[in-house]
Amino acid sequence: MNIEEFDVLIVGAGLSGLRAGLELSKKWNVAVISKVFPVRSHSGAAQGGINAALGNLEEGKNDTPKGHAFDTVKGSDYLADQDVVMFMCEEAPKIVIEFESMGAPFSRLESGLIAQRPFGGAGFPRTCYAGDRTGHALLHTLNEQSVRNGVTFFDEFFLVDLFKVGKQIAGLIALDIAKGELVSFRAPYIILAAGGFGRIFKHSTNAVINTGDGVGAAFRVGVPMQDVEFVQFHPTTLYGTNILITEGARGEGGYLFNSKSERFMKNTAPKAMELAPRDIVARAIETEVIESRGFEDSYVHLDLTHLGAEKIKERLPGIRDISIYFSGVDPIEQPIPVQPGQHYSMGGIGTKFNGDYGETDLSGLYTIGECSCLSVHGANRLGGNSLLETAVFGRYIGRTLLKKGLPKKSPSSDIKAAEEKIIENIEKLFKKWDQNSGKKPVYVRNEMGETLNRYVGVYRQKDDLEKANNILKRLQKDFLSVHVSTEDRRFNYGLLRNLELRSMIDIAEATALSSLWRKESRGAHFRTDYPIRNDAEYLVHTMVYRNKDGLKIKTKPVKLGIFEVKERKY
Amino acid sequence: MVEQQKFLVYRNSGNGNIHYDRFEVPISKGMSILDTLFYVQDYFDSTLAFRYACRGAICGSCGMTIDKVPLLACRAQLSTIKTAEKPINLPELSFGEPPEWDQEAEILIEPLPNMTILKDLVVDMEPFWKFYKELEPFFSREWKDEPPESTQSPSQMKKIESLVYCILCGLCWACPVNNKNPNYLGPAQLAKAERFISDSRLSKKTKDSIVSHILKEDAVPACEKYFVCNRVCPKGVMPGTAIKNLRDEWLEKK
Repeated sequence: MNIEEFDVLIVGAGLSGLRAGLELSKKWNVAVISKVFPVRSHSGAAQGGINAALGNLEEGKNDTPKGHAFDTVKGSDYLADQDVVMFMCEEAPKIVIEFESMGAPFSRLESGLIAQRPFGGAGFPRTCYAGDRTGHALLHTLNEQSVRNGVTFFDEFFLVDLFKVGKQIAGLIALDIAKGELVSFRAPYIILAAGGFGRIFKHSTNAVINTGDGVGAAFRVGVPMQDVEFVQFHPTTLYGTNILITEGARGEGGYLFNSKSERFMKNTAPKAMELAPRDIVARAIETEVIESRGFEDSYVHLDLTHLGAEKIKERLPGIRDISIYFSGVDPIEQPIPVQPGQHYSMGGIGTKFNGDYGETDLSGLYTIGECSCLSVHGANRLGGNSLLETAVFGRYIGRTLLKKGLPKKSPSSDIKAAEEKIIENIEKLFKKWDQNSGKKPVYVRNEMGETLNRYVGVYRQKDDLEKANNILKRLQKDFLSVHVSTEDRRFNYGLLRNLELRSMIDIAEATALSSLWRKESRGAHFRTDYPIRNDAEYLVHTMVYRNKDGLKIKTKPVKLGIFEVKERKY
Repeated sequence: MVEQQKFLVYRNSGNGNIHYDRFEVPISKGMSILDTLFYVQDYFDSTLAFRYACRGAICGSCGMTIDKVPLLACRAQLSTIKTAEKPINLPELSFGEPPEWDQEAEILIEPLPNMTILKDLVVDMEPFWKFYKELEPFFSREWKDEPPESTQSPSQMKKIESLVYCILCGLCWACPVNNKNPNYLGPAQLAKAERFISDSRLSKKTKDSIVSHILKEDAVPACEKYFVCNRVCPKGVMPGTAIKNLRDEWLEKK
């Protein structure tokens, strides 16, 4: 077996992982491991932009990091940890200017400064953008800088499992996708930046690769999942494929209409209208559809036609392409059919109370980006804050670890023993999958996705959630007997997708359980049987663990103290 | 009865066994070619190998040859694949012994051309990345994070906008020059060079360095102006036009 040794391993080559890699590679021996080539990462699909109180527009001149932090905390329905939010928003202008200095091709104002646009839940136009392909522009920029700085990559290596020695992380086992061989990567520091897990839902804007590999691996070595009941449903995903239609489309002035030609947002957010936060707009659309004011009982219209051809071509060319190619609709002439769809996971790998941002309870294991729960988004993320989070905490974690210095490594005999044990288990698992005679994994995957969509969606209630919990428990059993050929492991995507499912089904189960546990409505988690926020009992983070009897829930306090907890109105 | 679509799919074990497999997939509304491949993988043969990620034409993973045209499988729609207008004057793309193909009834799926095939529809992208890196396509200035940012007028930004949209999918390597010259840097790579060279913010030193790379024998001078790249590019990058601009500006001037 191949063994590689590094000071730090980063799993994931999206914006978080790349930014951390750039920082750490200056001084240490670092490897970035990714199941896809870096520019294929899902960060590249982000459209609308990245928030920073730059005040480049006249209307934004009075914007401040504190104002940004307030909007973020309010948007989070007060579940975000306020210290970490404040840190992120103070770093925001620096991180955007740093991107620019790296060559990021931002759109520009007449003044030559970085262009900004209004976004939902924000007091000022503070979303910096590169057309409607901001993620793509930033991802390519960090990839370019990684090439420049000679960062070491292991492209097409899949994280199978983490291993530890005592209470210290010791390494990970990855599957070299091309060769089909297991490789052990040893390191005293591991940063999981492995992305979100939207694919636990059937309808998601997420890439097919967003399967929570990092969350699953961390969970299997005992690190809890935090706040996974908070699932962002993006209000405007393309009807059919659920490809994202950026909030920027509404930021540029797009309207939402029901089948009665009403701008129905006037009923729920008369001031903010289409630019209310995502959870509120998503519920409003869902309500229109449920109450038969949608189209084909499935969607509403996002109308851009009044913006005119020139503005659409200039500001939203990617959206126009997507609508034409994937839906046959040219938004210059016709409204776009949209429906809410899973978009972002506010929850993720649980972090340590009062630790460094991104530190977990397992010594040496850190997490950043969408797979983590720091928690900067609380119960609902504002548009333009996810790209921000990736780079801010990528840079932060790099600097923090460099400052801390390298920890003492575990004795190599202990590492070797732990490594051999985990490899043995993985080989056993592969062999079992090959010999199993149960269902094909697709049946488990589809039922999981349909269950979450149906019972753990925009509107939730006890009976449905109980159903979901029961189905998922059964699917865990079904999964044990699924069959997939593992004989030829080279580019064996059937095997990879089953490894992904192994993580997803744990995350799905935890999501259903914490949704049932949280008897209140907060941000994206809406319980029709408990429609009111209940700060007395539930202003806490949910931490899901597994013990031998199954899943159990603990809580972690929310960091408050900067902004007063208030009712949330728009 | 659910309507079925027939597929003829190139298979390559990576150790000598090359053949074509036939599959029939039930059609559903809005299905892309990528969806059909997932269907095959899920229900018929879990070992069918192809790359994918975003399924929304932004990541550049799923380039392949469909009915003899290089396309992104996620964006190619099943319902229109037989009727959609095809780019004109494409070179003939062959992958060894041509199969018996019923052009009207069957959709033919093959890997990207002019790259080494590793398994089924998965090609070796290493030369693609290597040539990309050789051009040193990046800003070399020091990072800074204090305001003000360097400025750029909207019209200066416009000059690089379409070039920035390149997703490095590799469809443009269908170019006949890539077919005969394994050292040709490739259209996407040269378009990337032009993206930097024409960026108003780039220092003269970095620009000169990238220009020196594109003047090499296997770079701009190797282009034979087929413009196949322009016709197959899924993102409107127009690499051929970028190469023409590079030639006019730097090669003819010399």
